Amino acid sequence: MEKELRYWAERLRERAEALGLSFPPVLFEEVTPEEMAMLAAYGGFPRRYPHWRWGSEYLRYRETYRYGLGRIYELVVNTHPVQAYLLKGNTLLAQKLVMAHVYAHADFFHHNLAFKPIPKDMLDEMAHHAAYVERAMERHGARAVEEFLDLALSLENLIDPHTPYIQRPEGTEEEKPQERLRVRPYLDPFVNPPPGFPKEAEEGANPKPLPSRPTRDILGFLAQHAPLAPWQKSILEIIREESLYYAPQAATKILNEGWATYWHTQILLPLLTPEEALEFAELQAGLLAPHGLNPYRLGYHLLQEVEERWDKGRFGPEYEALPLGEKLRYERPTGEGRKKLFQVRTIYTDLPFLEEFLTPEFALRQGLLEPQDLEGFLQAKKALLFRLTNAGYPIVELWDANYQNRGELLLVHAYEGVELDLKKTQAVLENLHRLWGRPVHLKTVVGGKERLLSAGA
Amino acid sequence: MTPGEGFLPIARDLERFKEIVRGEVKKRAREFLTREELFGQVEGRLVSIPLPQLELPKIVHGEPVGEGLGLGGPGEEALGPGGHIPVAELELEEFLDLMGEALRLPRLLPKGEGEVTEEAFRYTTIARKGPRGLRHVRRTLKESLRRALLTGEYRPENPLLVPEKEDLRYKAPKNQPKPHAQAVVLFALDVSGSMREEELRLVKTLSFWITLWIKRHFPRLERRYLLHDAEAWEVSEEEFFRAREGGGTRLSSALLLAEEILKAYPPAFYNRYLYHFSDGENWQGDTPIALEALKRLLPSLALYGYAQVEGPYGQGRFLEEVREALAGQEGLATAEVRGREDLPQALRRLLGG
Repeated sequence: MEKELRYWAERLRERAEALGLSFPPVLFEEVTPEEMAMLAAYGGFPRRYPHWRWGSEYLRYRETYRYGLGRIYELVVNTHPVQAYLLKGNTLLAQKLVMAHVYAHADFFHHNLAFKPIPKDMLDEMAHHAAYVERAMERHGARAVEEFLDLALSLENLIDPHTPYIQRPEGTEEEKPQERLRVRPYLDPFVNPPPGFPKEAEEGANPKPLPSRPTRDILGFLAQHAPLAPWQKSILEIIREESLYYAPQAATKILNEGWATYWHTQILLPLLTPEEALEFAELQAGLLAPHGLNPYRLGYHLLQEVEERWDKGRFGPEYEALPLGEKLRYERPTGEGRKKLFQVRTIYTDLPFLEEFLTPEFALRQGLLEPQDLEGFLQAKKALLFRLTNAGYPIVELWDANYQNRGELLLVHAYEGVELDLKKTQAVLENLHRLWGRPVHLKTVVGGKERLLSAGA
Repeated sequence: MTPGEGFLPIARDLERFKEIVRGEVKKRAREFLTREELFGQVEGRLVSIPLPQLELPKIVHGEPVGEGLGLGGPGEEALGPGGHIPVAELELEEFLDLMGEALRLPRLLPKGEGEVTEEAFRYTTIARKGPRGLRHVRRTLKESLRRALLTGEYRPENPLLVPEKEDLRYKAPKNQPKPHAQAVVLFALDVSGSMREEELRLVKTLSFWITLWIKRHFPRLERRYLLHDAEAWEVSEEEFFRAREGGGTRLSSALLLAEEILKAYPPAFYNRYLYHFSDGENWQGDTPIALEALKRLLPSLALYGYAQVEGPYGQGRFLEEVREALAGQEGLATAEVRGREDLPQALRRLLGG
């Protein structure tokens, strides 16, 4: 990295820390647009298991950049130390902005509770996964492994993002590992049947339900109970682990980008020379442009709102009880804004963050709400919260792995008023059927009526 | 990560992706053949191919949620591209080759005489005279130095060289003849009463692929279009595909006008392709004239392609008459098109396969 950048990296770090941010060491590296496209396709890691979808993503990023439709200024990877990539050829000011932005992300990764269970050595984990899949390809054939990956990847969102937080008393729920009898391989499935199928003798005799309670961790369940080869189970585990790694990032996108934008502004503003001020304003305007759901914009403005409210004492029962108009004028200076911001950064994810702070007062001030259309605002807010729930994916639970006592799977969609894409869902069910080997069913609602979608039945 | 090492894995994934796309194009060649939204895109360097099959399906909601509020809705995120439709892009040439392979389209060979030798000037030699702009500085100074050394004027402590007139050297062009095969394709369309929307669509599809395929082999391709009922007249490409109805039919009118137009493209320099689309209904008495014109024209053509399209009132006899009269003649390609399903076969035959 150039000397000048290194100098600024140091100065910006000092300033970030002086302002109260704290984070592990951050490694900056400048990369070309092609390398950036590759890293973006790989989700930030220099090594992932072989799969064509990375190639497809890479092409998309590369072409997007080539045609000037968008550029990735920066990529931060939640590892220890934090790895950050800067786009080569950016102006010095852009790099400074990005580095300040990156320090705030590093602070967020480090403190936000959603990231607590995430392993910090993901760089190694990803490389291990890659090596495992490559070895599987050598042993079982590249096409066979790829086909299984295609299948498994269509299930990658069937995880329980809260799994890492759940602690169950040991030994009560999980079955004891079965004792395996050594026999010739072709006899193995008969002598040591895969778990998940009731043994004849057990049928009717107090069968234990499987799973013991409905679970969203369908990938985890399949990795444990589906009649698969060991390498296939490992691949399911790999995909599950990687999905779980990315889940907190999806759950905190608005907050995290808002946080980084808030702090790069705080860090950089006092350091700007008059010549830089204009360029900074331009970059900032681009970043905060109002299009689509811009997480930078929404997160940034909401955090500013939080700071202002807590600075002016606009919180607590007395404030909450006021009518809307008076809330806007209420003032009881306390200067607690910063303190509140750090608390929000630590304990919130997007969903409760928006639920709590995306208020009609905020919307009024931002010009998102006409006073007479409060109902419309609340509707839109509800829809937005729904979209952020479970990263926008439907919530699907596995209820029964021995449905109708036939070893079939029963999944249930937690219907919240929005229907599933039936074509894609059906395709996933077909995949699930291939994987489970027995018919699979999904209970959902179509056109207001309960319906059972099935594959293999 | 050094760029060299880092690039290996993505190159592997990219190659695999392209391989899958290529396989998909070949598998779905027949479908692409009639995909009209593709037509508009094919003129560029890249072809965008919608490939929903290449998407890994997921259980997702059926309708977008969270719109409104001036902050919901689909859109790109500021620092990176957002959602996308599964589209793959292929170089036009590669796409055509894959389609050609899948539909078993024949390669077109330039006729021996169809080559034109173009003079391409390259500044590869040096001359003593020339315009100032082409002065070759290094060679000029070299000459100066050589003269200074020879005359003993050169002083190492003051190596300033002042070129004199005789030292000046210029870049000079040299003729490098480059052979180029070129071609002309002429499309003639019978617009007498019976050709309707659906038939026209088939014709459009055929001529679209014929043009692309010829162009694949002869990048220097000229295109001409003419319409006819009882008379023939030349039109623009755009006008060619507009639906219309006319009067009676004289197939010879098209052939005679084509003969006239093609005079501007002597067979010594051009591979000449003539395509004629009709429902085969012809005025009595005109067929012998048409066949006579065809016999005259055929030897000078790379291909005469006659496609008989079945209209709502069936089709005429011209196809049989051509086949009878010109049986075994080289350069004759005929096809019957009754519907979409005939297109791959018709295309292959019209290209001489």
